Amino acid sequence: MKKIFLFLTVISFFLSACKKEKGCMDPTATNYNSEATLDNGDCNYAPISGCTDNSAINYLATATTNDGSCEYLSVNLNFKHYVDGIELVVNEMIYTNPSSDNYSIQTLRYLISDITLHTNNGNKILLDEVHFIDISIDSTLTLNIPQINYQNYTSISFTMGLDSAKNITNLFLNENFFPSFVWPEFLGGGYHYMQLEGDFNTVFNGYTTHTGGASGIDFSFNKIFPIIDITDININMEITNWYKNPETIDLTTDGIMENIEKQIILKANGIEDVFSVN
Amino acid sequence: MKFGTYTFLVVILLSIFSCKKEPVPVSECIEGCMDSLALNYNPEATIENESCLYFSNTPYVIETPYGFPNMNIPSDNPMTIEGVLLGEKLFKDPILSANNTQACINCHQQNFSFSEPNQYSTGIDNIQGTRNASALINIGWNTSFNWDGSSLTLEEQAFEPITNQIEMHNNWNNVESELNSHTDYPTLFKEAFDIDYIDSNHVVKAIAQFERTLISANSKLDRYLNNEEQLTISELNGYAIFNTEKGDCFHCHASQLFMDNQFHNNGLDIEPFLDLGRSKVTLNALDNGKFKTPTLRNIEMSAPYMHDGRFATLEEVVEHYDSGGKYSTTVDPLMKKLGIGLQLTNQEKIDLVAYLKTLTDHEFITQ
Repeated sequence: MKKIFLFLTVISFFLSACKKEKGCMDPTATNYNSEATLDNGDCNYAPISGCTDNSAINYLATATTNDGSCEYLSVNLNFKHYVDGIELVVNEMIYTNPSSDNYSIQTLRYLISDITLHTNNGNKILLDEVHFIDISIDSTLTLNIPQINYQNYTSISFTMGLDSAKNITNLFLNENFFPSFVWPEFLGGGYHYMQLEGDFNTVFNGYTTHTGGASGIDFSFNKIFPIIDITDININMEITNWYKNPETIDLTTDGIMENIEKQIILKANGIEDVFSVN
Repeated sequence: MKFGTYTFLVVILLSIFSCKKEPVPVSECIEGCMDSLALNYNPEATIENESCLYFSNTPYVIETPYGFPNMNIPSDNPMTIEGVLLGEKLFKDPILSANNTQACINCHQQNFSFSEPNQYSTGIDNIQGTRNASALINIGWNTSFNWDGSSLTLEEQAFEPITNQIEMHNNWNNVESELNSHTDYPTLFKEAFDIDYIDSNHVVKAIAQFERTLISANSKLDRYLNNEEQLTISELNGYAIFNTEKGDCFHCHASQLFMDNQFHNNGLDIEPFLDLGRSKVTLNALDNGKFKTPTLRNIEMSAPYMHDGRFATLEEVVEHYDSGGKYSTTVDPLMKKLGIGLQLTNQEKIDLVAYLKTLTDHEFITQ
């Protein structure tokens, strides 16, 4: 009888020794069980609120609930125009170009395309396919792109005009530069890149510096600039520099839309130092 | 017991019959649609004959010609077949003028590309205006209306001539009361817009819908560009002059629309200008003497030319551009070969006019 009692005692001891307390063993969990000796993987945690969208500036990787605090990157592009370093004044015969012609500026309209931000590691984002700037229309002088994916962007690139993939007749029928920017099929088709117009020497003399794909040749060019303040970017055009460096060009622009030589010079001058970004 | 049951049934039946309304006399039986929401609701009908017709208009689809952008149609005035037909009837109906003598079509005649051959139009009181009636052609693609762009929509524009003192000289109260008491119009407006009272807003909406259907894209040039017809040597020479900086016509008369929706001073006059044009609207002196570029489609049919109809023929127009025009402070840089001009030869002028005539669309002025 005693033996039986002992046997039962030993058995029950073993049984109780085998039985372990199961539960959450993570002290940071809300259902932490201090008695638990076996983690059952069923821990609950207090929600961490924050921005859970990884394209936002304030993305919080540990956040479990989106508290609506996400803030996105918004980029503001400002198009600014200068003559000899001073902000453009229209309709005044106050400028002298590198060929010693006095001139005024009445019209300045142009297309900037493929506006793209880049990171150091080769990621990029297209901000706008094509943007039309007309100095007489204030709304075209700024371009705001809200809610773009946040990355550490370090440079901006854009194309002056339209490259050959875009400079196609009827491709942009519903854009605000249609129909005034149409470049006749007869002269190669597509669209003007730029219409820079005014008077030179006397008020009786007009000049029209029109650039574009003369004879169907691609005269567009791409520029890339480093950027620091990504949210507010100025794209500056120094108008005088269309007419100099490397080659001086005068304002006698008769037949410029058919003049491949002049389009080559304007492109070369344009690449050199017409644009700057700050 | 049997008698008792019988009596009970009779009483029940009597009570049921006594609840039933008096039968309607045959003379008062009027069949018709009894739904007050239906177009043909008959408030006097006593018997529903399931004839109710409900408002449903039929969309009118604009076919966009090759090389044209999408037409900008106001969202509050979608095109319908009923609306267009009503607009056409109104356009041709002198009911809109104060003394019922003039319709829109009097000054916008189809065989003149919806313009008129007189330099100035004469209104109902025999008073002349000061500008040439605009041709109404492809105007659904215009972004402003009138020579100075004073209206931004066709609806807004259609308000003007009806109350203009030297045009139709009417007032809207009068127009509305005449239309509402007319035999046809209340039904036509109901069908087009589902309205029971005709107001000015719906009159101009209908007219605007009709005007948007005045589309021309079947000229000899269109057929040439579509490889369906050949141009003559002279027309081809004119095509080259037009589309190069030799004639430099294409900057303003741009694209398949043959206009740029903008305003220019093309060197017609020296200052001070008799008609300030665009600056009447913008109050900006830089717009003095600027007028809206008209399309050149069907230009052969819409003489005379310029905002004041000063040129009777296309030859005179070409002569003006060839001369270089006159100087004023706002003259367009594109026109600035002042005193030099285009220097076209006589043959080149003939060629340019021949090209302009390839823009004639006979279908447009006959259909």
